[in-house]
Order: sequence, then structure tokens, then C-alpha cells
Amino acid sequence: MIESFREAFGRALVELGEEMGNLVVLDADVKSSTKTIYFERAFPERFIQVGISEQDMVSTAAGLAIAGKIPVVSAFAAFLMRAWEQIRNTVARDNLNVKLVPTHSGFSDHMDGSSHQCLEDVALMRVLPNMTVVVPADAPSVKPLLREILELEGPVYMRLGRDHALRVYEDPELELGRASVLREGDDVLIVANGVMVAMALKVADELKRRGIDAGVIDMHTVKPLDERTLLGMARGVGTVITMEEHSVYGGLGGAVAEVLSEKLPKKVLRIGTSEFGRSSRDYFALLERYGLTHERIVRKIEGVV
Amino acid sequence: MSEVGSMVKLREMLSPVSNFHLDSSETCLGIVAAVLRRKGKEDVVILSKGHSAPAFYVMLHELGLLSEEELYSFADIDGLPSHVIRGLPLIEVSSGSLGQGLSVANGIALAKRMDGEGGRIYVILGDGELDEGQIWEAAMTASHHGLDNVIAIVDRNYFQLTGKTEEILNKEPIADKWRAFGWEVVEVPNREGEIERALREVEKIRGKPKVIIARWER
Repeated sequence: MIESFREAFGRALVELGEEMGNLVVLDADVKSSTKTIYFERAFPERFIQVGISEQDMVSTAAGLAIAGKIPVVSAFAAFLMRAWEQIRNTVARDNLNVKLVPTHSGFSDHMDGSSHQCLEDVALMRVLPNMTVVVPADAPSVKPLLREILELEGPVYMRLGRDHALRVYEDPELELGRASVLREGDDVLIVANGVMVAMALKVADELKRRGIDAGVIDMHTVKPLDERTLLGMARGVGTVITMEEHSVYGGLGGAVAEVLSEKLPKKVLRIGTSEFGRSSRDYFALLERYGLTHERIVRKIEGVV
Repeated sequence: MSEVGSMVKLREMLSPVSNFHLDSSETCLGIVAAVLRRKGKEDVVILSKGHSAPAFYVMLHELGLLSEEELYSFADIDGLPSHVIRGLPLIEVSSGSLGQGLSVANGIALAKRMDGEGGRIYVILGDGELDEGQIWEAAMTASHHGLDNVIAIVDRNYFQLTGKTEEILNKEPIADKWRAFGWEVVEVPNREGEIERALREVEKIRGKPKVIIARWER
């Protein structure tokens, strides 16, 4: 089933806004795209419009956090990155309770092309001290993880796609910083997040048919990384495969490779991108082009296992 | 302490560190003094031009919020940081990277309004800092939302890091720019008494944010 990350986010924000009076939402004129417009309709007095100015938005959110609010900043992931220095120098350095929840990450903004497709953000956020980095797998994961990050004191980057959320869970109980083990397997371990979790399950099915037993983890929290689950699951397998809709540099693949190289040296195959995207009328055609469909990934895994 | 006394203190503090940002701290002393003396309990002060931290520290010392020993620990590895950081007395937000303090002030002002709280937010800006685009993003946000508890003070000292402001990037007409962005503007010579009078004057103006341009005339 294909759902929408942003729809799930927009609705969850309203539901959590009912419970949390301190929750405020900031927008840089993309509310109808990020679906924070639902929050504006429900709580106009807690919705702040700053116009097309992501840098001002992030620093304004810092001020709101200093004054005791829980500000949620949403934008297209690619354009929120222009405020990286504001995020670094004020939000992360001062450990402020700002929640950065962009949509349109990865290839999800398929029509808009390489300017809008964001394949570097996890790396840029993961490197920041104090920052928690979360990449929900599907639409049902959005609300429980949103609740978790709002209840956490401190800065968080929670990366969402636009639509094309492939269903993984029914009614998941997810805990921040704790990987979700979806399948056990003896031959290889696949560590995925975001939309690639659903793809990883398809890959595991296909590998099974070919006699390869694959475990699958949803590593929704990239930072802090659940090393315990990773090392426990990786111990028995020959190869660890990471799958993400992001650059293979510095994101989930980087994080997993860092941990394994220090604590459990093991062959690691990182599936992701190393280029900019391009526009495509069809999202899945784009994934195919960049080698992120399950058929392409299975072939790659067979080549190394 | 007299203005001259503060200046002496500042120079003593900075002489072991090659006069680190001495000039921009000197021109900021009167501004920081006027603001900190005017500041009420609910008010917040943001030193957006974080490199004038030495001036801020001298005034904190005068107010009894930093000891002499702390003052002279400036930029020592475990001493006072060279740019202000959150957690120091009266410092709500770290700075050092220019152009961000006005946006932070707006955020605090918006939160105060939502909570029905009083209090002003003073933001000390440099004239070179006005080169940063984010200042003007924030200027639009403040006037759009009618944040009349935001009071900016521009340290118009005509110098920025590598030269005279008008040679690096023309700033004038500064007052007209702020007015065009919907702000109430007051221009004064950069002297503590003048700034203090301007702070009292702008407090009476409702409905829009205010900026005091403090021109260095020495």
C-alpha cells in the first residue's frame, strides 16, 4: 500500500497539537506542500509564517525554544539545508528544543528534479553534536516517532518524504534510538530506513527465493545509532547491507560502516546514491534509474555475497 | 564606573590577547551599558554582534555578575569564551555567527505574545552585520507580525573587519532602509546617555518594531 508521508505528518501534528499546548509550527510559505496547513487551520494562533526565508525561520524557532515553546520547523529538506549554519551555530550548539521536520527528502519530489531532491541531509545533520536524526519508514511510523521527538528535550532532525510511503507497519510501537527488527536472517543483514525499509523487505523475500537468508532492521533513528541491535544482528552474518534514499556518504551507510569497522569488522555494502537526482514524472522510474528498486538491489547483493 | 573606567578595564582585559576585537567592543560599551541598565526583569538582551563579547563582559563585571578573575580569564581555555555563549549571565543565546540575533529575538517576542507575557527584547547589531541577508528577513518578519517589544540597536561605528563599512559594502541610507521595512527609527550619537534617552523614547511607540542607530562620532 502506498500512502503519504506528508499527509501523515500534517494530521499527526494536529493531533499532537491538541495534547501539547506548547507546540508551535513555523512555515516558510510551503504549508500546503508540507501539510502544516492543517495545523494552521486548527491552531492559527500557534502557527507562524515567516515567508520564504528558511534561515530566519530556523533562528526564529530558536527564539521560541528559548522562551519555552516546542517549535516544529517544516520545509522542503533541500531548502532547509540552506539554514545549516543556523542549525549548527544556534540550534545544535545551544542544544535548543527545536524540531526540524522537513518533507520532500530523497527522490520523493520526483517532478521538481535535482534542485529539490535532497540526498545529503542525513549526513549534514548527523555530524552535528546534540542532534538526534530520525528517518521514519512509512506513514504509520510518523505519528509515534513524532510524539517521541516532541517528548525528547533537545534538537531533532526528522526526515520525511513527500508521498510514496510504502506501508511496512500496521500500528507500530517505535522507540527513539531503538532499531526495529523486522526479520531475522543468517546470511546477510539489511539495515534500512525511510522508504527503503519496505524495499528491504521485498529484497529479503527475493533473496530467500534464491537461497539467501536475510535479516532486516528498520534503523529509523540514525543518531544515536542503536549499536547493540546492529552488532547483535550482524554478528552471525557474512555481509551487512545498508539501504537508504540518500547518499552513501555520511548517512545510514556511513554510520553503520563506522560502527562495524571499529567494533565488528565485516563486509559492508552501502546502497544509496552518489549523484544528484533529476526530474521524473514517475517516482519509481527515478528509483530504478539510481539503482534503488528491489530488482537492482538484489543483483548488487548477489554480486558480493 | 565611568565610561572612561570601562574603557580602561576593556583595554586591560584585551591587552594579553592582542586586543581581540577591541575596536568593536569600544564602540559597543555605551550601548551595552545603556541597555543593561535599562533592562527590566522580564527583558531579554541579545548580543547579535557576538564579537563585542568583551564589552558585554566588562558591563557584567560592573553589574557584579562576573568577578574580576573571571573577567581576566577572557579566552583562556577554561575562561570566558571569546564570543558569548548561552548560559553566561544575561546571555540567552550564543552568538559569534553574524545575522541571527534579530530572528531569535523575534522568536522570543512571538512566544511572549502567545503567553501574554510582557518584556522587551533588545538586540545589539553591528553595522557590518547588516550585510547579512538574514537581518532583512528578520526585519520583515518583525514588522509583519508587529513585534513592538523588539528593540534593535545598531552600533554604527563605520568599520567592519577588513575596512571602512562604506568601502566594503555601502550601508547608507541605513535609517531609510529600516523605515522601508516598517520599523520606527531613531538616530542618536553613540553615547550612553543619548542611547538611554532613545530607549525610553521608543518604548512609547506601539505597533511596530524599533531600531536605534547609534552613530559613532569620535
